[in-house]
Amino acid sequence: MTLLERDPKAAPAWRGELPVTSRYTFGLAGERFFRAIQEEGRILGTRCDGCARTYVPGTIFCERCLGELDKWVDVGKVGEVHTYTLLYEAPDGSQRETPEIVAFVRLGDGGLVHRLGEVEPEALAIGMSVQAVFKPIAEREGSILDIVYFRPI
Amino acid sequence: MSMRKVAVVGAGMTKFVRRAQETAKELSWQAAHMALESCEMTMDDIEAVCLGTAPDSFDGIHMNGEYLSDGAGAWRKPFMRSYVGGGTGVFVPIQGWYHVASGLFDVVLVVAEEKMSSYYPHAQAAFLTIFDHTTERPLKPNLLWIFALEMNRYMSTYGIRKEDIALVSVQHKRNAADHPCALLGDPNITVEDVLNSETLAWPVQRYDVSPVSDGAVALVLAAEHVTKRVTDKPVWIEGVGWNLDTAHWTNRDLAYPRYVEYAARQAYEMAGIKEPRKEIHIAEPYDPFDYKALHHLEGLQLADRGQAAQLYVDGVAARDGDMPVCPSGGLLGVGNPIAAAGLMKIAELFWQLRGEAGERQVPGQPKRGLAQAWGDLMQVGTVVIMGR
Repeated sequence: MTLLERDPKAAPAWRGELPVTSRYTFGLAGERFFRAIQEEGRILGTRCDGCARTYVPGTIFCERCLGELDKWVDVGKVGEVHTYTLLYEAPDGSQRETPEIVAFVRLGDGGLVHRLGEVEPEALAIGMSVQAVFKPIAEREGSILDIVYFRPI
Repeated sequence: MSMRKVAVVGAGMTKFVRRAQETAKELSWQAAHMALESCEMTMDDIEAVCLGTAPDSFDGIHMNGEYLSDGAGAWRKPFMRSYVGGGTGVFVPIQGWYHVASGLFDVVLVVAEEKMSSYYPHAQAAFLTIFDHTTERPLKPNLLWIFALEMNRYMSTYGIRKEDIALVSVQHKRNAADHPCALLGDPNITVEDVLNSETLAWPVQRYDVSPVSDGAVALVLAAEHVTKRVTDKPVWIEGVGWNLDTAHWTNRDLAYPRYVEYAARQAYEMAGIKEPRKEIHIAEPYDPFDYKALHHLEGLQLADRGQAAQLYVDGVAARDGDMPVCPSGGLLGVGNPIAAAGLMKIAELFWQLRGEAGERQVPGQPKRGLAQAWGDLMQVGTVVIMGR
């Protein structure tokens, strides 16, 4: 029995719903970070010189010293695969023939968890360089999915 | 019990607003940053962090404490989130207090945050999720009509008039006009305005209720030897108390908050207070609704049962009265970002007792104040007494 099948011997249950819909602001840092992705196809970080860290995505504060950060830097589109996984089971419980690949891509001292594309599972390697592939500018909407995936270079 | 003395040495507060552009963690950081600057400390001085935030559903992220931890300064520090619903804002400084009083840490950063505007279309819908799924939720309860039931019982038990309860809202919103961070300050509001406002769930009308808000507040707490080094105006935490009543509506006295009384008695005993009405110079009872301030003043033993409204009628509760109540402007006037609103009351006592409350300053150099919050499933009381 998979997780998604109901046990016919289960106790009678009351069905209820929790209505949860949220509108999230991007935040002061997020406004800057996502506008750069949408309008310029750039990935921005912020620099804390005192702690010698470049935060990606950029933040308005350093989590180490709680200092204010206003030095924005373009960290480029190329990062390094820090680790990855192959998603064989889909969210609905079915098996995929070709796994989806997600990776943590190091950019600056931070990075992004994102999809990898244009690569076969056999060719994956930790430490490989990958580059962000953006949607055409007209289709971007200020979302992390404006980056379609990262591909090897 | 052998416990160390603990003082509040710094405080910071964001504006309370309807809908902040800042993320929840950015709000937390702003308050934390201000608190550190106020006492010229850095994160190197902070040994542990206590965070208070109310239901995860407001911010729209589960494990909200962990989500907010970077903005609250928790990086590589002992960190703990506390949560007792609306009571959180006065519980999290208690948590900070015992971190220091116990001897475990010398300096603790306390942060409380709430971003209620994320919930769509209105934060009230989040409260639907706190009720029993089979006996209560099918009736689609919200806090407005839940409190309307309690308010009606309170009014009926003691024969209290709506116009006297409305005085609470008027005074708090007028006080808030002097608070630079306030959302709903109004120097000209009248009892008629309150009585003529839209009825939401009788007897609760629009101006009987505090607004949903976004905001954050932070404090720095320190042990005595550190306090002496960093400030010549320490404000000591002299007493703390907290208490939970039954979570069942059916099993609780709705006209009198016994759990607030027990929390207050714990705090009075610790502070060595025998006659609270003489020894408390400023009261900041929790006022998400105007009648709740009265309800709580009675539980706190600062008024006889059913008599708290008289403090407003007689002017005792006014900012220049014998026992000013909510000189900050309270939740009704400053705003109600749940956990942050409770900690705002502690920050207000800190500023008032140091003589730094500006236009809001209570005259006569007050020496001792009390802040209280309430919430959870409407059955928790949290109390802090501070003095100089």
